[in-house]
Amino acid sequence: MLLQQLINGLTLGSVYALIALGYTMVYGILELINFAHGEIYMLGAYLGIIILGFLTAAGLTAYSVPLALALTLLLTVIFSASYGFTVEKIAYRPLRTAPKLSPLISAIGVSIFLQNYVMITQGATDKVFPSLVGNAGFSILSTRITFLQASIIVVSGIIMALLHAFIRKTRTGKAMRAVAQDRSMASLVGINTDTIISVTFIIGSGLAAVAGLMVSMYYGLVNYFIGYSAGIKAFTAAVLGGIGNIPGAMFGGILLGLIESLGSAYISSEYKDVYAFIILIVILLVRPSGLLGRDAEEKI
Amino acid sequence: MRKVAAIFLCLGVAMILAAGCQKKSENVKIGVAGPMTGDQSKMGTDFKNGVSLAVEEWNGRGGVLGKKVEIIIGDDQHDPKQAVSVANKIVNEGAVGIIGHFNSSCSIPASDIYVRGNIPMISPGSTNPQLTEKGYRNVFRVCGRDDQQGKVAADFVNGQLKVKKIAVIHDKTTYGQGLADEFRKALGENADVIFYGGIVQGDKDFKGVLTSIREKKPELLFFGGIYPEMGLLVRQARELGIKAPFMSGDGSIDPKFVEIAGAQAAEGTYLTFSPDPKNIASAKDFISKYTTKYGEIGPYSIYAYDAANIMLTAIAAAKTTEGEKIVDKLHSMEFNGTMGSIKFDDKGDVTVAPYVVWVTEDGKFVEKWKP
Repeated sequence: MLLQQLINGLTLGSVYALIALGYTMVYGILELINFAHGEIYMLGAYLGIIILGFLTAAGLTAYSVPLALALTLLLTVIFSASYGFTVEKIAYRPLRTAPKLSPLISAIGVSIFLQNYVMITQGATDKVFPSLVGNAGFSILSTRITFLQASIIVVSGIIMALLHAFIRKTRTGKAMRAVAQDRSMASLVGINTDTIISVTFIIGSGLAAVAGLMVSMYYGLVNYFIGYSAGIKAFTAAVLGGIGNIPGAMFGGILLGLIESLGSAYISSEYKDVYAFIILIVILLVRPSGLLGRDAEEKI
Repeated sequence: MRKVAAIFLCLGVAMILAAGCQKKSENVKIGVAGPMTGDQSKMGTDFKNGVSLAVEEWNGRGGVLGKKVEIIIGDDQHDPKQAVSVANKIVNEGAVGIIGHFNSSCSIPASDIYVRGNIPMISPGSTNPQLTEKGYRNVFRVCGRDDQQGKVAADFVNGQLKVKKIAVIHDKTTYGQGLADEFRKALGENADVIFYGGIVQGDKDFKGVLTSIREKKPELLFFGGIYPEMGLLVRQARELGIKAPFMSGDGSIDPKFVEIAGAQAAEGTYLTFSPDPKNIASAKDFISKYTTKYGEIGPYSIYAYDAANIMLTAIAAAKTTEGEKIVDKLHSMEFNGTMGSIKFDDKGDVTVAPYVVWVTEDGKFVEKWKP
């Protein structure tokens, strides 16, 4: 039973971690809490359903389900990333030199806009994601793991490892770290900070889209306000791990998933949302910078 | 630029005037309230369609009291706070009767407002006993009550399924927990409730609680709640390898439930609800009219239609739109419902509330057992 709960928590936590990364990366670079990030996740879920619908109509799903899903994932990430890019360009870039509160309010505005945009264009009712893989799975030690659960955990793990390598090993990654440390200094040494900020938004939105697609497949149910609660949870995860810190966001996300899962199993499912926030308050009291958060010197 | 602004301003003023005019119109206004948007919007839309159909028929016959009937739509988003403000809005706009709400947690607080506004309220779908237990003379419902429903479910479990180990889950709402409590009470000594607990409405992940239930090896899982959570619960239970059948109440009997859970996972789920209108000869006419206009008939479309007809019949009989007089007529008259005649008792409940047990077969709901 404990093992099953850990698997449940890990699945949930991987998704939180993917979304939390977007919050933390943007905060690391801009010190902006991007409230519209949850909406990008929601858009990812909707885009997944729409794209898969097109592919099914084109007969690709009947031909090969894995191929159709891979293509759906790819297209969803591309479309969502372009949403993230556009949001930054329209809503945050013009406010780059404005007081810090202005982009924050702009972010809330984008969030409200995107929610209503989806509600009006896609309808207020729940959308159901077609069940393609069913509930097939395997059992180890009386623990049942569906293939979907396993792929969520594995895909998230791979993506997070890739992201880590990207930030540590590549030139762009290095530039991102530089911009996070000191934006004006980075631009003085020849880094195009606007491009780097755009790249950050594209990556963050892509990750959120992956999470959105996987969650809509996992639960099979999508509506226009899923971004709100997922966004709040992921934000909590980012703060839990230390906002601005990438390994912290991954760790915080997984920890949050496990706390929710174990709390609802061993204490009571009625107060599921309460456990996560109790832990958050405790950690903020004891370690205000979050679990893995260091001083503001190196944020990314 | 200034000219454009001036034109817009004029248009705006004209619109306000138009809205003002509307308010003073001499139509008879009927409110219809329920969750029109959000995850339960399907139910609200069914309400709206059912009432619209009835109102169109009345208007086709020349309206009521020689005036046209007009609908005021209120969206409570299944939120009790929203329900109260919607109720105030409907009363202020001069409605003479209200059809709504859907969720018991909305109907109960909203009923206070309608009582204060002195207008009769008929709920097509709120089944929590409390609604008509408050001693309000102008609150009615055309559906049954959860104590009747829970009893039928328990009788079916004890007498037909004969299972002993039962897990009871609810969504902490007035309706869901009410139904779960009534079911548990009616089970009595014959069965063992091995788990009793709530989940959060709107949540998507119930694997934690389902895993703890799985350890206790239940033979039946009962859920008091609405179809989105029911669908997710059934789906996730099957993913965890729980094979025991599920049972739920009228809030879960919707095609969306099967869609969310998947036809395979939903197979064999029991649901308590009123008898199938398709088997009732007097409902044929309504069903054909409704389906040509709005598509597939929802579980509460027929109740909303009946509620609107009853309200308008009572207004016609009272020969006035005064609240008191309409309420008197509602209490004293016998109405022709689509599924048989309807009469209200002193509390405002229907005197006959037939619940039956349905089962899900190949993704469709089929009537299974009559008590």
